[in-house]
Order: sequence, then structure tokens, then C-alpha cells
Amino acid sequence: MAKESFDKEIQFLRMLVLTSGAYSRGQFAERLGISVHTFDKTIKRLKDIVSSVQQNLPQSKGKELAETIRYSYYDSTDPMLLFLYRAKSLKESESQRISLLLAAMQDSSLTTMELLDACCSTLPAELPMPDEKTIRSDLKYLEEVGVIAREPGPRPFRYRINNDLVTELTQDELLDLYHFVDVMSNTQIPSVQGYLLRDGLKKQLYRQQEALGAAEPFLYKYHYYSRILDEANLFTLLDCIRKRRYISFLYFSPKKPKSYASKNTNPLFEREAEGSQERTLPLQVVYDHQYGRWYLLSYDSRQGIKKYRMEGMTQMEVEEKAAAEEDFLKKREELDARIKYSWLIDTGRPITVRARFYNPGHSQPNFIKERVLLQGQWGVIMDEDEHSFIYEIIVNGTFEIKPWLRSFGSSCEVVEPAFLRKEMIEEWKELQTYYESVRENF
Amino acid sequence: MNLFEKIFNHGILSRLEDSGTFMVTAHERGWLKTMLLHPAAPDAFAPETLKKLASILEQEQPFIIEEDLIEKARSMERQVYHPHLRTLRRIIVNRSGIRLGYTVKSGQAHQEQEGLPYKLEYSMVKREWYLLWYHMRNGSMMSTRLAKIAAIAELPLAADHAERLLADIQAKLHKRMASAKIQVMQEYNRELSRILYAFSCFEKDVDYHADTDCYTIALRFANNESEYVLSKIRFLGKRVKIVDGKLLQRRMYESATKALQLYGATE
Repeated sequence: MAKESFDKEIQFLRMLVLTSGAYSRGQFAERLGISVHTFDKTIKRLKDIVSSVQQNLPQSKGKELAETIRYSYYDSTDPMLLFLYRAKSLKESESQRISLLLAAMQDSSLTTMELLDACCSTLPAELPMPDEKTIRSDLKYLEEVGVIAREPGPRPFRYRINNDLVTELTQDELLDLYHFVDVMSNTQIPSVQGYLLRDGLKKQLYRQQEALGAAEPFLYKYHYYSRILDEANLFTLLDCIRKRRYISFLYFSPKKPKSYASKNTNPLFEREAEGSQERTLPLQVVYDHQYGRWYLLSYDSRQGIKKYRMEGMTQMEVEEKAAAEEDFLKKREELDARIKYSWLIDTGRPITVRARFYNPGHSQPNFIKERVLLQGQWGVIMDEDEHSFIYEIIVNGTFEIKPWLRSFGSSCEVVEPAFLRKEMIEEWKELQTYYESVRENF
Repeated sequence: MNLFEKIFNHGILSRLEDSGTFMVTAHERGWLKTMLLHPAAPDAFAPETLKKLASILEQEQPFIIEEDLIEKARSMERQVYHPHLRTLRRIIVNRSGIRLGYTVKSGQAHQEQEGLPYKLEYSMVKREWYLLWYHMRNGSMMSTRLAKIAAIAELPLAADHAERLLADIQAKLHKRMASAKIQVMQEYNRELSRILYAFSCFEKDVDYHADTDCYTIALRFANNESEYVLSKIRFLGKRVKIVDGKLLQRRMYESATKALQLYGATE
């Protein structure tokens, strides 16, 4: 079977999440570069996965897909997009067999032959019976992914399920673990493995004590929950970086209206792919907390440092070819120097920005200074008096820091550079005209 | 490592659930081992549990990410796991009441305040934990920084009483919801993705008019979140305009006018 790609599902879910119901079927399909028929097929497949994953959650029954993954703050305890990572397709017989093997190993450690017997006696008659070779290869796979462990001792080897994590902890400890995993997967990156673990632990806790699940105590405010979609490519990229490998992919710049194109096998339906074919040496991955977006920074022999938004990367292929260690380190060093002063990823000319911030006054707690300290990255505070302070930072270009400075409204006055000060004035003038109509009420 | 392993397949998963089997992969254990290296980990467990976990995970490989993955524009991480979380979380799960001692923003201290805690909320922006609770005596909805809580005692509460209070809280939360409509200025449609990402942390609906190629985002948020919504709108600058929401519009006009005064740029 050809390597299964989830590009389509990822682009599909991202668009569904970001545009929350804006497009009709036709508009949606057009923007993804797929047919309405493919749109319908994809939505059906995703719905099937959601309903099988959520079979025990009655409240989600019969909901539309868009409705199911819709963000609702007070119900946001389970990461809605996690089901994407359950989408790997599998033959029915294999799915049944693997589940049976694991269930059998839960109670005691068993040999290959004992497992074969267990399978043959439990599998439904209409399914083909596995042979010893199949069971051996299943066990090899399960051992590789660390789900089972081979017991020490002579042949024939005995296998057991590797679930010490739940068997060796008390109920109370398990609850502590569940909540730790919840907090860390929500506040740290990467998070998908954490969410998968959280899901498993949650079900285990339900089994032990149903009432526990009723109250999910934690909420995470201002969370970019769609960020987990891009983690799909994260580990491939991190692996490439570690091995200094080149990759090639079809890139869709997020500024283009189309974000995906079907890989056509039927020439009659061939579309012109609007993406560009790229080949590059990955150097570093950047997560931007300001927008909740991921970037790949890489090196291209002709164009030097290149930047890609991870959401635009599709049909990724890792090449066998690796860069020489020395070359890689040199490029990486160059990159480090270039992004040292990037507010996000701008590699433009470093410039000193000075801004005066005004304290809230009336002996209110100084939330302005608090926010500058919290979010001002490597900038420093100076010339402080009771009304205001100066914040100074060296930053590559002003494009990326400008929105942050503007977000403070009239509590921030840009002092330097003069061109940025002028730009700010122009923008405030224009923004004032946006709201001229409410003026009489001011 | 591949996140799309067949072991994570939804069919296997639901069958394991039916047979009551717990399954965990080396990927997940590796992730856990990595997270246990975080300085916040000792706050989340009793010392003996940490020891147990270390021995269970002895064979696992933590993720080595180091310089390969960096984070930009993150708020300073002041707090990830506050020591009060374990105590408070148990009280919430037990549906018990609470007696609290804490200080408020002005520095004033309150003691022996009784209430019903219902959620622990972490702000990704402030990187800090808050306890959301209902004040029994004056019936107000409270949000108190964990760092400002000095004393906690669990108060037993009859199940039906807790039930009634929780319903009351739900109704109050519902009533506190505010909304606003924000239009994407057409010349910035090519930045749609950036704009939608910026609003993806809110409850929202997006409306698209094909004839005019115009996008409108309807946001829903608690009314005490307006300041944050405003800072997002100022953040996006000329890209967006509030088209519905008088209060926010007025505040934007005020911001712009005051900023221009600051720059000495008023006509």
C-alpha cells in the first residue's frame, strides 16, 4: 500500500476550524482544490472516526462534524482535533486481531502459540484465521511501539502488556498523573503524545471509578487549539534535522486562496497544482505563540535561509541525502545569528526600538508594566518614573513587534525609530476614522 | 517517530475500550519522561510517586529537542503547576465547598470566605493559574489567583445543595456572555489566515459573503474578557473593524483619540 498521507484531512480540519461555518460545500471544496464529491467523502470518513472514538460520550451523538469540533470554552477539556491522529487506516481483520492480542495479554504473559490459540478461539468465524507468522509479526510490531514487552527467560518467549504505568500506581497517584499530563499537554509543546496519553488515562480512571470523570477541573484560556494539527509534520521535521536530511514538499503559501491540491491519478481530472515544489535542508522549527503558528526555517543553496509556514507544507518526502555535519553546523550557526533578534522569525536588519509606556495611574496595580515584563522578550525597562517608563529592544525589523506595541493602545508611545512613530500615527488616524460614527457618544 | 501509527487507529482504540484494556506506547512514555524533567513536575506529585514514575520510565528515551524546536513571543513562564492545584482539584472533583483566605489586587486581605469552587483556569497569556469560585454570601462570581491564596479548607456540602449552586453558576456564566462582530477589511483578505488564527482562541462563527468577498467574525466571550478582545483588535490594527458592539467601538475610538493626543497629532 502506498504511504498514507493525511495532508488532505489536516488541511480540511484546519479550514473547518478557522473559518467556522463560513463556506458552503462548494466554496470549501474549491478552496481546498478538491471536488465536492471528495469533500463529501472526506467529511464522511472524519465523521466515522469521530463517532467511533466518542462512542461512550453520549452528548456528541448525531452532532455535525463542524459542530463537534467547534470551540466552546467551558466544554473545552478534551482536545477536539485529536481524532485526526486516530485516522490511520487498518484492515478490519488486523484491527480485531491486535485488539484481541492486547486484551489477552492483559491478564497474563503468554507465548506466541498461546496467543494464536486465543485468537483462533475468539475471532469471529467469518474472518480469516491468522497463522503463526502473522502473530509473530504482530508481536514484533507491538514490541517496537513499546505496547508489549518480552519477559526475560528461555524460549518460548512470553509476552506481556506493558502497562506498569497504571498497575504500579495507586488510584490517587493515577489521578495526580492524569492531571499532570493534562496540564503539560495543554501548556507545553509538543503535545499530541501527551493528549494521547491523557485519553488513555482518562478511560482507565473511568473504568476504576466512574464518578471521577464527571468533573474536569481545568480550563485553559486563550489557547490556540488548532496548533496540534501541525504537530503531524513536526516529528518528521525534527527527525530530518537530527539526521541532517534534505526534504522536498509541495508548498502552498497561506496567502494564496487555495491551500491544498489533490494528488491526481486520473489525468482527466488533473488540475494545475498551484503550490510550488520545494527542496530544502531543515535547520530549525519555530512555534510562534503570538498567533499559534508553526514555521520551518531551512537552508537553500541558492536562496540562503528560507522560511515556511508548516501549515502550507504538503506531500513531504524525506530524502536519503544528508548534509555534511560541518556544513549543517555552519548553516545553523548562521541561522542562530540571524534570528537572535527576531521578534518572531524576521531576519531583517536589527534596529533599536524605544517606546514609552504609561502606567495606569490612580494607584491601580501596574498591569501595563506587568504585561511588558511578561511579553517583552529580551527588551529592557529603563528611565522609570511614577507615570511612565521606557522600554528598549533591539529587534530585526519593526514589522513583527508593531502589532504588540499597538495592542497597548494609548498606553504606549513609540519614540524611536522615527519612521515607526510616523507609521503608528498614521495607523491611529485611520483607525479613528473606522469609528468616527460613534464619536458623538464619546 | 510517526504520530499516525496503526496502534492509534480508532478501531483498535474502541475495541480496547470495550475489553477494558489499557494500552500505552513508548512515544507517550517518552513524552511523559520529557515532561517530568520540567521544573514544575515536583509540585504535581508526592515524592514517592515521582520515584515510582522514574523507575517505571527508566528504560524510556526522553525527546531530545533542545535547539531544534524553539518558541517565540511566549509570555515568560512564571508558573506551570501551582502547589495548590492538587488540593483545589480534589475539592472540585468532590463537589465540596471551600473556605478561603486570600488577598485581592489592592492588597487587602480576606479571611474565611466561603464558596463553591468550580474550575481552575490557566491563562496562556498571563501564564498563571486562577481559581474560579462562587462566593456564597454575596453570590458573586470570583476569580482568584492561586498565588494570592493563603489558606484553603474543604467544606462538606450536601449533594443537592452543590447541584443547585452549580446550576446557578451555569446560569450566571451564560448571562455574562458578550458578543461582537468584526469585519475583515477587504484589502487584507490575503491575510485572512493570520487574522483567523489570531481569533482562534475565542468562540466564534465566521460569515462569508461571496458577492462582496467579505468576511465577518462573530465572537462570543465573557464580558470580563472585553479588555483582551480589545487588545487583540488593536493588535490587528487596520486589518479589522468592529461592526457590531457599541461598547467596544467606543473604546476603540477612545484608544485612537488618546493615542493621537499622546503623539501630539490631533487636528
